[in-house]
Amino acid sequence: MIKQSIIENVLNAALSTGGDFSEIFIEDKYVNNIALQSNKIEKSISGRDFGIGIRIFSGLQSIYTYTNDISEEGLLLAAKRAALAIKGGGTGTIHPLQKEIFDPIHQIAQMPQTVEHARKASIMRQANEIARNYDERIRQVTVRYMDEEQNILIANSEGKFIEDTRVHSRLAIQATASEGNELQTGFYGPGAHAGFEFMENLDLTHYAGEAARIAVTMLHAEECPSGKFPVIIDNEFGGVIFHEACGHGLEATAVAKNNSVFANRVGEKVAPEIVTYIDDGTLANEWGSLNIDDEGEKTRKNVLIENGILKGYLIDKLNARRMKTESTGSSRRQSYRFSPTSRMTNTYIAPGTSTPEDIIASTEYGIYAKYMGGGQVNPATGDYNFAVEEAYIVKDGKITHPVRGATLIGNGAKTLQLVDRVGNNLAHGAGMCGAMSGSLPVNVGQPMIRVSEITVGGTKGE
Amino acid sequence: MKITEFQEKLLQKAMDAGFKEAEVFYEKAESFQCMIFEGEIDSYETSVDGGLSLRGLYNGKMGYAYTEKIDEDSISFLIDNAKANAELLDEDDGTDIFDGSSEYTNYQSYSEELANVQIPEKIALIKSIEEKIRSYDPRIVTLDYCGLQNFSGEQSLANSKGLSLTEKKNGIIIFVSTVVKDGEEMKTGSFRKMTRDFQSLDADEIAKEAAEEALSNLGEKSIPSGKYPIIMRHNAAAALLSTFTPIFSAENAQKDQSLLKGKVGTQIASNFVTLLNDPFHSEALSGSSFDGEGVATKKRAIISNGTLETLLHNRKSAKLEGCETTGNAHKPSYKSTLSIAPQNMHIATGQRTLDDLLVSVSEGILITGLSGLHSGANTISGDFSVEATGFHVKEGKIASPVKQMTIAGNFYELMKDIEETCKDLYFLPDGYGSPTLLVKELSVTVD
Repeated sequence: MIKQSIIENVLNAALSTGGDFSEIFIEDKYVNNIALQSNKIEKSISGRDFGIGIRIFSGLQSIYTYTNDISEEGLLLAAKRAALAIKGGGTGTIHPLQKEIFDPIHQIAQMPQTVEHARKASIMRQANEIARNYDERIRQVTVRYMDEEQNILIANSEGKFIEDTRVHSRLAIQATASEGNELQTGFYGPGAHAGFEFMENLDLTHYAGEAARIAVTMLHAEECPSGKFPVIIDNEFGGVIFHEACGHGLEATAVAKNNSVFANRVGEKVAPEIVTYIDDGTLANEWGSLNIDDEGEKTRKNVLIENGILKGYLIDKLNARRMKTESTGSSRRQSYRFSPTSRMTNTYIAPGTSTPEDIIASTEYGIYAKYMGGGQVNPATGDYNFAVEEAYIVKDGKITHPVRGATLIGNGAKTLQLVDRVGNNLAHGAGMCGAMSGSLPVNVGQPMIRVSEITVGGTKGE
Repeated sequence: MKITEFQEKLLQKAMDAGFKEAEVFYEKAESFQCMIFEGEIDSYETSVDGGLSLRGLYNGKMGYAYTEKIDEDSISFLIDNAKANAELLDEDDGTDIFDGSSEYTNYQSYSEELANVQIPEKIALIKSIEEKIRSYDPRIVTLDYCGLQNFSGEQSLANSKGLSLTEKKNGIIIFVSTVVKDGEEMKTGSFRKMTRDFQSLDADEIAKEAAEEALSNLGEKSIPSGKYPIIMRHNAAAALLSTFTPIFSAENAQKDQSLLKGKVGTQIASNFVTLLNDPFHSEALSGSSFDGEGVATKKRAIISNGTLETLLHNRKSAKLEGCETTGNAHKPSYKSTLSIAPQNMHIATGQRTLDDLLVSVSEGILITGLSGLHSGANTISGDFSVEATGFHVKEGKIASPVKQMTIAGNFYELMKDIEETCKDLYFLPDGYGSPTLLVKELSVTVD
């Protein structure tokens, strides 16, 4: 993308004031976004994102600058201006750059840029048809198609020089059902680190059908009661609860500065023995997967909690310095506009031994959260909140009627202690995670689990 | 290549390639951001970036493409992609490229004075704020973040119909999250302040406000769950309003995505509610004299004393209904297609201060923050159930902070249940504003 000699000059210029590490991140990304609504392909935009981020460390201080002026003068100017933030004198020199070749874990069969728009639109139309035909009460269907090809080059003063191409494809289906003065929605958004083959192999009947089914089901849902109940959270996207409730608290961004309840607790029991929690960026072609992270480190399987014992954290280069340890291949950024930091990839609770049927049958009264919506956590306190997209009341071991407006609140570290069943049906769901270094594709996953008590906020009262 | 030169060349080539009309939208931004941790610069960030998009009418359909790589080769990339995207559409967009309004308000959203403030001065300010917060009270254990961001940007829109508009803006934002601890109880409080007037930023004042925001949350008590009258502080009310903005879009109403469909001219809120679209409000940092299509923006009432006066239109939604656009075409960046959004939408102020209002409340909950709005609110049904921070109010006084809680209700109902608006208008950085509101009641669940 840019001549190696220019990269070397920029890395050297960045060290001219006493910095001890410099890095360049070059991104050239092609994006296609298509939207279908009211049975029509309504909007379609294509684009190219292109820019460069330069990062300098001086001890624990981090300097970042980004630009899309990629002339040699422009880059040198940016590097020197950033270096001015460090008030040392120095003649730091970089190690000779060594191009690193690796076998990509995630194979891409059909690059989206080579696929005609009409084929993409055809997938969208099929999803629209399936959702509309599900029930006459489906009034509106919105289908969004997204693909991107992100070409990156990372080089740093330690001699690293590595390139990769990442491809993401996602289809987001939202159905709106209406009856009388009621409008309810259902959503499903499958995605993968894969090319157009992902779209062609997608089980549209399932995904579009589910979006429609949720919307129609919610039309007749009762208001959710509020109070403290056992909560059964189904597999796949249900994993979002532990993504928020403990995943963010295990990121070095929070841990390194002691702003997490999990800081300094490796080796301690933080969860019941049935809980094993893993972040794995190597799962083939999963939405949150990567070959290398945004500092050029290979991704890996990081076991965070094993049989209830805290084993480790997700760590990036800068926080590794603060924590006096090594990076775990977990540094990510949305684009060249963000300085990278420790983030999750595909995070999940490992399967246990209970069957979903047994978990429900053994619950006297509680809430069954079939599909979770999004949530949020305050990493300092661990307090979280979640929306439940589709919920039911469980009574005498049976799933009864649907309820709506359920919100779960609690404290991550405490909720983790209250997991009392882990199912055997592990599955992963795609989501977007927003934090310091931008919005990123992540998978959340789990088998069905049960928490003995969560505070449920609803509209019905106790 | 100079940008104006590039724009002209691109427009010409687009016409040569068969576009009937075309528009080039260009954006350039510069920013500086600095975060402080324990007296040291923790992160320091500068940027200069931008991009450009082509939007053009090809065989009656509107195609889009953008690029951040602005060079000779990009011209064909933009033209080929915009064409392919136009061809994919199922029907014509119903719009064309706009030839200009007769008059545009001269709006100053750029301060030369702010642009001249040097980086060391900004760093000194944010360092001083961090230090003053840390020494404010022994219960302050750390800061989750403490930063300052200064941004400036320029947008220009030029089209084949001869319209050429440019606007500059800048501003500065201070953002702090303070962590406090008393015994086992740990709480945070976040604080944000934005302005275009650097001299108005007083470190002592900011530190006090940021520290108190966190400290006031200590000493939490549980209260019974149930329905309570709600005093929704300005920032929480603005965040809720911002979340439900899509219901005011005419396009959403036309597509059965808003229950305000067919409600123009009817009472949809209590008499106390007047909702304004106010692109030139002096206290908001966003706002512009032209919208995403180049139409002149205007101050207007969306709701007047409870009556829905209009929905928000761009030229496409207006054409469908045979009315005039309200100048609310929205193009947040060159990477976006056109949609609809308000400019500095806010609820009009009333007479009393929050303190005066509290005195008259025998029992209720003062909500000072909402969290989880992106997931806990359904902008189509109007239902929301979100985490809230706040205080139990009893006999006209704040009794104690309330343990972790959720508030739940329906936004359409809430608009009818607003019983008073205070005089303390507050704007979020994205331009949504509200004074503190008194709401008849909402369901509250306490942990």
